[in-house]
Amino acid sequence: MSTAPTFIRPADLDGVTAALSDGDALIVGGGTMVVPELTHGRIRPSALVDLGRAGLAGVTTAAGTTVVGAMTTYTELEHSAVPLLATMAHGITGGPQIRHRGTVGGSASYANPSSDVPACLVALDARLLLAWAGGVREVAAADFFLGAFRTVREPDEVLAAITVPDVTTFGYVKFKLVEGSWPIVTAATVVRADSLRVVLGGAAPVPAAVTLDLPSAGTADPAWRDHVRTAVTEGIEIAGGPWDDVLAPGEYRARIAPVIAARSVARALDEESR
Amino acid sequence: MTEIRLTVNGVEHAVDVDPRTLLVHAIREQAGLTGTHVGCLTGDCGACTVVVDGRTTKSCSVLAHSADGARVETVESLADGDDLHPVQRAFWDEFAFQCGFCLPGMLLTARELLESTPDPDDEEILRALNGNLCRCTGYNTIVAAVRRAAQEPA
Repeated sequence: MSTAPTFIRPADLDGVTAALSDGDALIVGGGTMVVPELTHGRIRPSALVDLGRAGLAGVTTAAGTTVVGAMTTYTELEHSAVPLLATMAHGITGGPQIRHRGTVGGSASYANPSSDVPACLVALDARLLLAWAGGVREVAAADFFLGAFRTVREPDEVLAAITVPDVTTFGYVKFKLVEGSWPIVTAATVVRADSLRVVLGGAAPVPAAVTLDLPSAGTADPAWRDHVRTAVTEGIEIAGGPWDDVLAPGEYRARIAPVIAARSVARALDEESR
Repeated sequence: MTEIRLTVNGVEHAVDVDPRTLLVHAIREQAGLTGTHVGCLTGDCGACTVVVDGRTTKSCSVLAHSADGARVETVESLADGDDLHPVQRAFWDEFAFQCGFCLPGMLLTARELLESTPDPDDEEILRALNGNLCRCTGYNTIVAAVRRAAQEPA
C-alpha cells in the first residue's frame, strides 16, 4: 500500500469545510460508491473526510419547501414524504444494506450517469447548497452536473443540503435489465400548472431535461409518441449524446429513452398507480 | 495507524488499522470472526453483510474507521451455543443454502426483514434480499426458508 491517508471525522459542517481546505481529500458519505473505488486503488487521496458525525442527515419541511440533508439515506427518504425522492429511494438497487447506507448527497456528488438521484433532482428543480471554509453557495440542480462523474463542486467544497420545492404530481419509471443492475434509463416526470417536464437519467452523461406537450389523446397516441421521440432525442443530444457503458450501448439507451419517458408521463397523469 | 474501538457481538475490540482498512477485514482479521465473508468488495454480493448500529450494512463498503464506536453484530451472534436462531433453523430445514458463502448476508438480512415485517409476502422477501446474491440455490428455497421462519415462534 502507498502512504496511508489521514482519517478525519468532523463533528460539524465547519469541521468538514476546514478539513477540506487543503483540497486533496476524499469525502466519504455513506461510502457505498467511493469506498470500493478506494479499495480497488482507483483513487489515492491524501485524506479521508467522513461526514458521518457532521449532522448533515435528516429532512425538514417548512412553507412548501423541503430541505434534505446531504447525508440523508435512501431508507430515511423512503420513509419521508419528500415527493419523487421517496418513490425513487424505494427502488434503489442493492438491497436494504445499500439503502440504509447510501445517501442522496453522495449520489448527487458522485454524478454517475446511471444513478437515480441526479435526474430526480433536476426534475424537481432542486437547489444544492455547497459549503466551503469561506461560506456557502447555492446551485440549481440543472447547473450542478457537468458531465459523467463531474460536477461544479470544487475540491474544497462539500454538498451540505438539497432544497426541494413542493411538487404534487409526478411519475417515476426506471428500466433495468436485471434486479441487481444499475438502471439503464430512468424518467422522472413532474407536472406543473401548464407544463409537463421529463428528466431522463442514464440516457446521457448528465440528466436530459425535456418539456413535452400534454398528451391530449392519451399517452398511447402515435402522434404524441412521435413528439416524445423527437423531443427526447433532442434532449439527449443537448445533454451530451447517448451515454454508453458496459451495461448498455448508447444506441440502445437512446432507443428506449422515449418509451420510458412516455411511461413515466402515463404514471404521472394517473395518480393512482404512481 | 490509529486505534479505533468496535463492539462486535457485545465484545469491545480496540484495533489499530490503516484508515483504508475495510470493516469486513477488521471484523475477520482483528476481531477474529470469520463468519462474515469477503465476496465482491464492490457492494454487490451481500456476503459481507453485518449489522451496524441496528441496520444491515455491507461491511466491504464501510471503512473500519467510519465504524469507530459502533455496535456491530455478525452472523456469529445469531445462534445461542448449539441452539440455532429461528432463521438459521428455517434455512437448515428448507435446504436453503448449498456452499454457504452467501449465508451470513442472507440470514442477517432475513432477520432484519422479519423484525420489521413479521409476515412478509414473497414480493417483500425478494425485495429485502435483492442485495444478496446466491450462486447455488436459485433463491426459491431461500424464499421458502424466510416464509418458514416467519411462521415459527421466535
